[in-house]
Amino acid sequence: MDELLLSKVRLGVVAELLGYDWVAFSELVRSLETTNGNLGAHLSKLVDAGYVEEEKSFANRRPLSRYRLTKRGREAFASHVAQLQALLKAT
Amino acid sequence: MSVEPIDAAAAQDHLEMVNRILAESHQRLCNGGEYFVVWGIGSASITVLAQLVHGGLLPRAATWSLPIVIAACAAFSIVRSMQTRLVLQRSSLLQREFFNVLWLTLGLAFVVDIAGFNIFTGFASAAIWSVAEAIVLLYIGLHGNRRAQIAGVLVIVSLVVANFVSPGIAGYVLGAGMLFGYGGFGASELLARE
Repeated sequence: MDELLLSKVRLGVVAELLGYDWVAFSELVRSLETTNGNLGAHLSKLVDAGYVEEEKSFANRRPLSRYRLTKRGREAFASHVAQLQALLKAT
Repeated sequence: MSVEPIDAAAAQDHLEMVNRILAESHQRLCNGGEYFVVWGIGSASITVLAQLVHGGLLPRAATWSLPIVIAACAAFSIVRSMQTRLVLQRSSLLQREFFNVLWLTLGLAFVVDIAGFNIFTGFASAAIWSVAEAIVLLYIGLHGNRRAQIAGVLVIVSLVVANFVSPGIAGYVLGAGMLFGYGGFGASELLARE
């Protein structure tokens, strides 16, 4: 199983990004109901692992961080979910 | 990285969360009603203007306003899409695919209109825009938008009706299809967003 995705927040981030091109940091905080600090730490791990791509820019003079799933992240998610399902079937 | 092994209860909990997130990320195609309003009005006014010139109700010199209308619509689209891109909190993959279809269809219609003016003469060039607009609307309709389905059918009906009416009013019929079909769909999207 993918150890990086055993964290519920990180798995949630990847699931949130699945159907989207780009999702803003503020939108991820809102939908995952977590704190900025907590999400930031989890996102860093996903970015470092190459599962998520980060883009930093400015919108209306405010910093805007957006994230999107990479091919590697998508494959890892599919494999991880399949293994979770297999685990449930086996029990 | 050392992580506690996951048990069946945790696996169930994680899968339920994934399913909930995927169910909530309902993909709604088209959130840019303003583009449809602008291009619907723009294309309809161009077609009606051409009809008025064709019918002798306006001087031929009035056709010089056509490129200005197209340029104004294009400028609006470019500026608005740049603004939207900067403030968009979420941009879906489906949305990106839709914009590819939109630009490809309308871009192709534009190129055909410019490069094939000897083949598509008179109202045939306006009809190309009706076809392009119908493709875009029906594509949105295919993704479950009932208003887009109705609007697409409306544009197609205007095309068929224009084929059978007298040449003196064909442009008005095509223009009405563009205005009420394409522009009307955009207005309905804006109202639905409110």
